[in-house]
Amino acid sequence: MLRFWSLLVLLAFGFAQEITVLTHSSFSLDKGLIAQFERETGLKLRFLKGGDAGETLNRAILTKGAPIADVIYGFDNTFLSRALEADILLPYRSPEIRNLKATLLLDPTFRALPVDYGWVSLNYHRAYFKDRPLPKIPADLARPEYARLLVVQNPATSSPGLAFLMATVARFGEDGYLDFWARLRDGGVRVAKGWSEAYYTHFTLYKGDRPLVVSYTTSPAAEVYYSEGKYQEPPTGNLFPELAFFQVEFVGVLKGTKNLEGARKVVDWFLSKPVQENIPTEMWMYPARRDAKLPEVFRFAPEPVGSVRLDPKAMAENRERWIEEWTKVVLQGQSPEAVRRGRR
Amino acid sequence: MAFGALLVFLFLGLALFYPLGRILILGAGEGLARALANPYYWERYLWSLEYGLLSALFTLFLALPLAFAFRRRFPLREAFLALATLPFVLPTPVVALGFLALLGPRGLLGVDLYGTKALLFLAAVFYNLGLALRILLPVALSLEWPLQAARVLGASPLRAFLRVGLPLLLPAMGSAGVLVFIYAFSAFGVPLLLGGPRYATLEVEVYTLLAYRLAFPEASALMLLEILTLALAVVLYLRLRPYPLPAGGLLPAPSWAYTLGLGGFFLLLFAPLGVLFLHVDPGALASAWASKDFTPLSLALGNTLRFTLLALLLALPLGVAYAAAARRSPLMDLLGLFPLMVSPVAVGLGYLLAYPHLRGSLLLLLAAYALLAYPLLARALLPALRSLSPSLLEAARVLGATPLRAFFRVELPLVFPALQSGLALALAAILGEFGATLVLWRPEWTTLTLAIYERLGRPGEAPFREALAMAGLLALLSGLVFYLLDRGRGRVG
Repeated sequence: MLRFWSLLVLLAFGFAQEITVLTHSSFSLDKGLIAQFERETGLKLRFLKGGDAGETLNRAILTKGAPIADVIYGFDNTFLSRALEADILLPYRSPEIRNLKATLLLDPTFRALPVDYGWVSLNYHRAYFKDRPLPKIPADLARPEYARLLVVQNPATSSPGLAFLMATVARFGEDGYLDFWARLRDGGVRVAKGWSEAYYTHFTLYKGDRPLVVSYTTSPAAEVYYSEGKYQEPPTGNLFPELAFFQVEFVGVLKGTKNLEGARKVVDWFLSKPVQENIPTEMWMYPARRDAKLPEVFRFAPEPVGSVRLDPKAMAENRERWIEEWTKVVLQGQSPEAVRRGRR
Repeated sequence: MAFGALLVFLFLGLALFYPLGRILILGAGEGLARALANPYYWERYLWSLEYGLLSALFTLFLALPLAFAFRRRFPLREAFLALATLPFVLPTPVVALGFLALLGPRGLLGVDLYGTKALLFLAAVFYNLGLALRILLPVALSLEWPLQAARVLGASPLRAFLRVGLPLLLPAMGSAGVLVFIYAFSAFGVPLLLGGPRYATLEVEVYTLLAYRLAFPEASALMLLEILTLALAVVLYLRLRPYPLPAGGLLPAPSWAYTLGLGGFFLLLFAPLGVLFLHVDPGALASAWASKDFTPLSLALGNTLRFTLLALLLALPLGVAYAAAARRSPLMDLLGLFPLMVSPVAVGLGYLLAYPHLRGSLLLLLAAYALLAYPLLARALLPALRSLSPSLLEAARVLGATPLRAFFRVELPLVFPALQSGLALALAAILGEFGATLVLWRPEWTTLTLAIYERLGRPGEAPFREALAMAGLLALLSGLVFYLLDRGRGRVG
């Protein structure tokens, strides 16, 4: 009864304001942390899951006139330019910025603030490759005996898929990446719509028929963490740091929010130490804060040495073309030669 | 009645022609050249054509013998007839899930047809067989006298059918075929959920371009191609007028064995739906009700019911006004058919372009629902209105009623059963709407169909079971609405 009256009082004075956070579908944080934030601020948090990271951002762009949320979390560096160009975010110099790793501050206008980072990377199923040789160099993947074992995501509909495509551009260059993909195609690579379909349906660890999958460098650690003692060592491993792609996920205040104050508090909260230290075992990304401690299980997720990066400007300018060219070669079976000719 | 026509004009202008115009302008710009130069999009177009044409062919191939079977009086005939139309009003995610449960990767039969053409064609036939049957049956029934006359004049049964029956049937076959083509060519849910990237139709491609890449120009260009094709089909459909034949009666009854045979056929046809219900697990329904990981069923069900009701308030007066105006004016008749030519995804896309300041407002979604539902309502009402004797109305007028009063007090009560059928079709269409909802969606508006789609996007046993259970619920809901209002009386077309 007391709770009812205090709720009524809160409502009457407008304290229990709701803040809506638009996130990608993989969003997850400790319930206790969320409850604590709500207690301390009097704000009520609501999380809306908008699908894949790119899809979520597009939702925000398409509803620009009447924003569906106050805060957006989860769009990454491959989509950063789209978010900034669409002008859906308000600048916010959070006091927490000074605690963040400087290399992650990719938006000088402070509209998109980094929350976490990680690497999209090839995973292999250890048990499958126990008595079989692993591919030795990235180009080996295109050989028929390995292409037939690989499942990737469609870069048009999946952000890890797009990251892996960009990794191949960074690794093989504008001239070579289409040849690599054409050979993967001929070798029998499978294309899934999104990460969860690739990982949970086609990957041999989950009774699929593909022992090589595009996932994250932290996935092996996650397997140990969730196995409840079944695994002492990860059942999967990372392949080819030189094909791992650096990803940063951002948070931002959506233009048109009715509660600017509250939205900013949520951004500060995302960057606060407790949330940052919760992110690794909830979303399997590395915290953006310098002083956040990593959980013990992250010893199975070493940072890849020699991973590839692309210049954000190059990504912004070429993203659509790369996706289009990839579609032409892999889904539609055109020759890389013809596609390159079409550029001119 | 001028007021009714004005209402329809105004609505069509705001809810269809203006948004469509925006698409056309954008599509005829830079996007068109880029899209036409890309063979990939032509491949999508050719596949959509193939899907539409072959679906029409396969459906007719089954519907023709079925129509002849239904010329006879046999036990449970009416029930079977009602059953045959049921798939037409089933929401696409439900049907797709049924087929997955039977022939998918985790299917009951152990044959995985996911991502094959065969599965897509099976689904198209499942959907449209009842529709084709409803169009062919009246003609098949009235063939009795002409066929007998041919036989009396010495023709063999085969010759009588080929020389007399078939030519008389052709217009009906044509219109049934064109309608099936229209529905399959612009199909969205079935190819999206069952086809994988290889068998994406134009409609699916437009959605992908928009939702994932925000490529408005290309999406608009493809839409333009689609609208042109569908417009040709609709013109063809309007030109196919059936021969005026006297209504025929039913032939004498064979025995229960006949019923059993047809029952077996329907059992096979409905196997996907049956398997769906076999797999429905009350526990999954309970866990979906207050789900934390996905949109809870409680919210989705509430949204679905609320939006359906609100949209119906718009669609009902529109449908009645349109039917009343189209009864005497062929121009209105054609105009009102336009929504059938435009796919739901295109409607959603058009709204986003035409009313940017209304993006994310419920009004757009409700307008889309009403736009897609009112022609169905009106098409069911029109034949009944047209068959009313004009003298009835004249009598009312002579007795001093205004035209409006005469319409509401004399005509409408007389065509009430047809209105009920139309209402059933419109309701079922809104309940299961998928394409426009997916484009205009806001997370808090998630409807049952979207909640199912959301769960299907997550492989894994638990979400799949929840999706199955919710699909069962939605099928039950649509079926119940349809049965209560229509009971197999309605004519579609």
